[in-house]
Amino acid sequence: MKLDHTLPLEYRSEENSNRIFGFWLFLGAEIVLFSTLFAVYLTLWNRTGNGPSGHEIFEIGPVLIETFVLLTSSFTIGLVINSMRQGLKKPALVFFFITLLLGAVFLGVEITEFVTYVNEGATLQTSAFLSSLFVLLGTHGAHVTMGLLWGIGLMIQIGREGFTLETANKSFIFSLYWHFLDVVWIFIFSFVYLKGLM
Amino acid sequence: MKKLFPVKHVMGYLFSLILSIVALSVVYFDLSMAAGMAILLISAVIQMGVQLILFMHIGEDGSKKALYTNIAYALFVGLVTVFGTLFTMIWGYQ
Repeated sequence: MKLDHTLPLEYRSEENSNRIFGFWLFLGAEIVLFSTLFAVYLTLWNRTGNGPSGHEIFEIGPVLIETFVLLTSSFTIGLVINSMRQGLKKPALVFFFITLLLGAVFLGVEITEFVTYVNEGATLQTSAFLSSLFVLLGTHGAHVTMGLLWGIGLMIQIGREGFTLETANKSFIFSLYWHFLDVVWIFIFSFVYLKGLM
Repeated sequence: MKKLFPVKHVMGYLFSLILSIVALSVVYFDLSMAAGMAILLISAVIQMGVQLILFMHIGEDGSKKALYTNIAYALFVGLVTVFGTLFTMIWGYQ
């Protein structure tokens, strides 16, 4: 196998480099997926029918917690890659654990928020606005859930094998995914919640 | 400490928090719809740039050119989807 030792571990073999590129292609498709959901939401946001409007159900408190938690987890997954590149396994695993913990807190707050909406009579079937809202938020939340499971699996593997060509590559790709979810959240935060409360 | 918390990452994190607070200001100040949307759009796009360049290391890969082309194309398709939908479903009828 041809290895270029001037590159960080995760890029070192050609296969690794191709995997990272392939993941960027996937993220390109994800950008388009979320664009379609935003397009639907931005078209239907004022079609509230007999149900409540965004202004009536959105609460800024939980949303700020979600934003803060996700931004911080995006920072800590960046620190994982930084530690990994210096070959520091233990700090990397600690930061990884914090990242996943923050991801779990985010999900907890989001699920609580959904339960509150449903208890207020704002369900998926209530209005076009709520259908598009739940599908947009739910798709993002499903991605975070998927990321949590993936991250746990990856942490186990890093714990067992340390940072090798494979695990370094996987960790870097996971960090791309996690940062991407943060970017999507920034747009949800701005164009769903803040716009709705404006 | 410096090894584990590089200045670049810490600055990027603080910067993204500040941008979120800037975006949050639209809720508390009595702004027009256009001004509010402009603030939201600008702060969101800058935040996306911080994530892409600083944290996702987009400039590092060997296949840089193909990578930028791919992301630019995805963003183009995304923007056409969003604004094309708004144009045909809402703005076209006003």
